[in-house]
Amino acid sequence: MSAAARPSLGRLALNGAAGLSLLFILLPLIFVTWLAFFRQEIPSFPPEGYSLKWFAAVPGQKAFVDGFVLSLEVGVLATLIGLVLGVPASLALVRHRIVLGPAVNTLLLLPLVMPGIVLGTSLYVFQIETEIATGWPMLGSLGGLVAAHTLVVVPWVVRLVTASLAGFDRTIEEAAQNLGAGPWTTFWRVTLPSIRSGIVAAGLFGFVTSFGNLEMSLFLVGPGRTTLPIAILQYLEWKIDPTVAAASVIQIVLIGAAMIITDRYVKLSRVV
Amino acid sequence: MSTIAPEPVAGGRTHLAGALVVPATIFVAIGLLGPIAILFRYSLNYFVPGQFMVDGLTIENYVKFFTDSYYLNVLWRTVRVSVICTIACLIMGFPLAYVLARTQSRFKNLMVIAVVLPLFVGNAVRSAGWMTAFGSRGALNASLMGLGIIDQPLEIMFTETAVIIGIIAVNLPFMVLTLQSVIEGINRNVEEAAFSLGAGPAAMFRRVLWPLAMPGILAGTILTFILAMNAYATPVLLGGPKFQTMGPLVYGQFAQQNNWPFGGAISFILMTATILLTVAANLIVQRRYR
Repeated sequence: MSAAARPSLGRLALNGAAGLSLLFILLPLIFVTWLAFFRQEIPSFPPEGYSLKWFAAVPGQKAFVDGFVLSLEVGVLATLIGLVLGVPASLALVRHRIVLGPAVNTLLLLPLVMPGIVLGTSLYVFQIETEIATGWPMLGSLGGLVAAHTLVVVPWVVRLVTASLAGFDRTIEEAAQNLGAGPWTTFWRVTLPSIRSGIVAAGLFGFVTSFGNLEMSLFLVGPGRTTLPIAILQYLEWKIDPTVAAASVIQIVLIGAAMIITDRYVKLSRVV
Repeated sequence: MSTIAPEPVAGGRTHLAGALVVPATIFVAIGLLGPIAILFRYSLNYFVPGQFMVDGLTIENYVKFFTDSYYLNVLWRTVRVSVICTIACLIMGFPLAYVLARTQSRFKNLMVIAVVLPLFVGNAVRSAGWMTAFGSRGALNASLMGLGIIDQPLEIMFTETAVIIGIIAVNLPFMVLTLQSVIEGINRNVEEAAFSLGAGPAAMFRRVLWPLAMPGILAGTILTFILAMNAYATPVLLGGPKFQTMGPLVYGQFAQQNNWPFGGAISFILMTATILLTVAANLIVQRRYR
């Protein structure tokens, strides 16, 4: 009896510990969401009542709206450029024996483990040097920001696309070529569709990495040109109220929806 | 002719492979290694107040950091907070990662999304959640006082405790996802084998699961440690202006003091400290589990 009861008790403790950790991860989001529906402005508990008025106030916050638009622009551009650079590189790395292949692979993944603060300071001085050398306005420009964000998107693309290529059966391509398809037709009609899930996942992760980037972007944004995470940070340094919470809730809902939709095409539990 | 024909094709292929990989490689090499080299060069320059930056070759900025107890304290505090957060993440993350890896539940995807979603919401928003909870009239104090456990609000906001809690919550998903992918690769039969040979759950964990999961444990602790060392939003928002860690210190030197040489030097010290501690941990773990 006791032998049978003990594992299930252990099981219960294990599930309990796991549940507590999950709750701990979600707790800050729960608090922010709760605050967004407060009636009074001061975040004191228990709330005096509930209201939806703060959501109506969000579009009036110019910093949040501009930040959202800029983050969206930068995220989309950096993801597209990152895919254009990263997908061919992954194909070459998996398919061909390249001189220094492992070294190239490590280099392409390096921005992922590079501390954001170090990346931000280095890119800041780099962009200043480039400005001095060429006369192009870099620092605080859209181009400078997109280039920096592309740098953190590329590793995600390389990591996820090489992973999806590793399980790919090359004989299918050979079959297509035997049936008369040229290299381009083979690529577009056979190779690309079969690594689509990897590319979709790479696009999603690249985009959200760029959209949420704070530490690196902090050094690269210019006056009047701020991304959404930095706009939220600057607001929070000043005060916390239901308006910023409502803006956060909108962000949580958008990202959550994007993830659930992506999950229908690519199982997130497989790619993360 | 026929023996020569395949040659250009093969040559074309390597050519093609080069053409595919070179753009990304050049982009990352110039965009990553170039800036780091320039930052290192800057860190050897002089800073003359009023004159901004003067070209030179000096280690004065590094000496300044290591001889001033204020800066050494900031470095020590950052390392201490990072170590505590990393250990806490490992202890809290392992059970969740194990359950996620082994569950047959149809809600598994939803659980994974619940772990991943906070990652993408951003550090600032998650700090906002803790700010709501930790304030003197926040959720935590209000409920503790409502329950009659305390009669004075706890001072959590703007303390090291608040920063540690905030960073753990930020880094825990990374640890869980890294551990989960490794545990999923461990065949369940080896656990069953340990049990059928008479090992209890604790012995099975210590002798089978832990050693087999070691690559994931290493990868997860390294990742969370790097992130904790370089945290910015969490210490700024939950620690307040008086609680200095390396991230905000670097930012302050660039944005407020305009002291680029010193800022560059701190940035380099931060990077080197992170790498050294990571390598040291790696060596210790490898020696114990070989």
